[in-house]
Amino acid sequence: MTDVLIVGAGLAGLFAAALAARRGAAVTLITQGRGGLGIGHGCIDIWSAGVLERALPHLPDNHPYRRATISSLRSALTQLDGMLSPSGLRLSGSLARNLRLPTPAGQLHPTAFALTAQAQADPLTGEDFTLATIDAFRDFSLALASHNLRQLGAPPASLLELPMVGLPTRRDAYSTDLARCLDDSSLRAETFRAWKPRVLGIRRLGLPAVLGLQSHPVVMADLEDRLGLQVFEIPTLPPSVPGLRIEAALRADAQRHGALIIEGPHVIGRVSGASNGKRAAGVVAHTAGGPHVYNADRVLLATGGVLHGGLVTLPTGRVQESVFDLPVVHNTQRQTWTSPQIGGRQAYATFGVAVDHQMRPRALDGGPVLENLYAAGGLLAGADRTREGSRQGIDLATAYRAVEAALA
Amino acid sequence: MTAPGLSADLCLKCNICTAACPVAAVTDLFPGPKAVGPQAERYRQPGAGSVDASVTWCSGCGTCTRVCPHGVQVAEMNILAKAQAARGHIPLRDQFMSRPEWLGRFGSPLAPLANFALSQPLLRLALERLLGIARHAPMPPFSHTTLRRRQRARLVRTPEQVARAATTVAFYHGCSANYYEPQLAETAIAVLEHLGCSVIIPPQVCCGLPLQSNGLLRAARLQARSNIRSLSPFAKAGIPIVGTSTSCTLSLKHDYQNILGLEGEDAAVLAESTFDIFEFLAFRLRSTLDQAILHEVTARALYHPPCQLKSHFMGLPALPVLRRIPELDLHLSEAECCGIAGTYGLKKEKYRVARDVGEGLFAQARRLNVDCIITDSETCRWWIARHTALPAFHPVQILAQSLRLS
Repeated sequence: MTDVLIVGAGLAGLFAAALAARRGAAVTLITQGRGGLGIGHGCIDIWSAGVLERALPHLPDNHPYRRATISSLRSALTQLDGMLSPSGLRLSGSLARNLRLPTPAGQLHPTAFALTAQAQADPLTGEDFTLATIDAFRDFSLALASHNLRQLGAPPASLLELPMVGLPTRRDAYSTDLARCLDDSSLRAETFRAWKPRVLGIRRLGLPAVLGLQSHPVVMADLEDRLGLQVFEIPTLPPSVPGLRIEAALRADAQRHGALIIEGPHVIGRVSGASNGKRAAGVVAHTAGGPHVYNADRVLLATGGVLHGGLVTLPTGRVQESVFDLPVVHNTQRQTWTSPQIGGRQAYATFGVAVDHQMRPRALDGGPVLENLYAAGGLLAGADRTREGSRQGIDLATAYRAVEAALA
Repeated sequence: MTAPGLSADLCLKCNICTAACPVAAVTDLFPGPKAVGPQAERYRQPGAGSVDASVTWCSGCGTCTRVCPHGVQVAEMNILAKAQAARGHIPLRDQFMSRPEWLGRFGSPLAPLANFALSQPLLRLALERLLGIARHAPMPPFSHTTLRRRQRARLVRTPEQVARAATTVAFYHGCSANYYEPQLAETAIAVLEHLGCSVIIPPQVCCGLPLQSNGLLRAARLQARSNIRSLSPFAKAGIPIVGTSTSCTLSLKHDYQNILGLEGEDAAVLAESTFDIFEFLAFRLRSTLDQAILHEVTARALYHPPCQLKSHFMGLPALPVLRRIPELDLHLSEAECCGIAGTYGLKKEKYRVARDVGEGLFAQARRLNVDCIITDSETCRWWIARHTALPAFHPVQILAQSLRLS
């Protein structure tokens, strides 16, 4: 019997699994495929418009941050640090002021925390920096990034194309290929030797985020040591190396603390008949051969929203929650779901499951649908996470609160 | 278009599969599962050759399908594309290594001679030169007697011959447990009997997976149909089919329907009634196993769950059991794949790539200084043992030792 069964392996699901496992619970995480960490920017966005604590009182009561509370967010961030540090990863930043970190398109992205290598990009103004890319790497455009940074008043002092030893020649190189070349200590030494004469006189160097996948801390230290300069990383098009580092660290931490991870199956929720339908009994998972029943004391859904499989939109205008068919806050006028402006208010983004302060999905009468069912992350109603720049903060705060409530 | 091909439309090009692919990570000969799969699929015409030969570098490990968050059958698509690309010119070598049953029938009676011959570097060099079988790839020794011969009393032709259907298990040995490792099968049978099952051996042939992986789909379908015909009556009688070879059980469960396209009630019943050994222990014998007394097994071990096991979509059912064994210092593999992927690493031109795929795992074993490797698939065991010079066991062998059955 599993104490806590978690569905989904994005930031919310992996973080919840590691947290619950660290607290001694028997954890099973089931996920249909891997989550979005491997394609995002790898930063922890909390509130892009400013300081969350100041904005919080003005948010609607059903906003996930109001449900989870800011103290959950603070505790979650402390816990996250503890999960990343065994892999040598460290987050820099604060809740009091957003970092402004360059994107691959040369925009400045406000975010609260990032792996140190990325966070070192802030401030871009002031000290000169050189912007570099790797020869033949197509997923980071030096021209685009530098052009737009110039418009924003943060022009690179110079531009540089650097070689890399061991790169694929028979196909395009992915960011992961570059990162793996640098993971290899002998290829890395050769590459840095080739860079040395090219970076003479440069004190600060911005590079696409490819500075090591498994050995990122070693690569960073090695680079600063051999070349005597400070570097910062800028995210690339997917795959996202910073996101993959965080994903691997969380997965390893959860497994180290005994969590079992089941990758692949779609799941359907089960309700316990013995409890008169008041409790979740676990899930049925579609394995390769057929359905398997997984029993659990508590179930936590971290399945995400419309883009992630947690919510399914039907042609009728109904929006369905994919595991337990929970009530979903939404409207049924499909034509009103999206705005023609890409940066506009997207109604569908706020669709989701309403929860109580223990992160339990609420029935139409306001009480919990099931006593032992919890939800976290993008599945929750009430936040437009892209517009708010609150995606990872909501994942962490709500997953923390849900695990706290589930294990109370 | 094939059924897996239709799932190409679900692809968002997110590259999660590309990042996870163990082959693309070590060679630029392979553009990655997304590129040769959902991306190339839209240019493929039914019946025509593949648009790009690079798909032949896919090892068929199945990682891409497992990590896809949108249900794209990437690996299935690529296996079919590989078969399409190979059509009409499948080398003699592939024809040969696709038929472990023929090899077994021939090699087992001549075991002393065959084993001696295959251990000779000169002969292996000749095999590499003449056929393209990598000379450093492991070739397991044939057993002198087959499992079917050793366990004649358990052979049953039809479910009607089974006395106590309720606790009976039908053992699917496949080729490896019949011709190479009958002792492993006997260990598994001993564990099942210890936990209250009676075990029979139904009629069966090679699962056909090596044929399928080498593009011989028609021959693979013949094997599959034969197994469906002989095993489904047992499944219909409520007798579960249990195997220790995790890629064979996956074939019975998944590939027959989803790659070979065999439909119908019999294939479906067989799929639902087939279990990998630890899946069966975890889902059908859970309470008995929970009550069993596990004795200490003093060893430092690295557990590597094979790709084919992970493709069952049921996690790692052996892991919680292994973790319960006292004094077993168990470490979990950080590698996605060991590299061999069935017959992939046996091929001269693929050997290097396969070894590079496994290097992360071999390095982890060296770093942790473990005494042994534990892994559920025979080809992985042989391959990892060769490259780490460590003994490699099936988890059921460790469990049997802990139950003091061996």
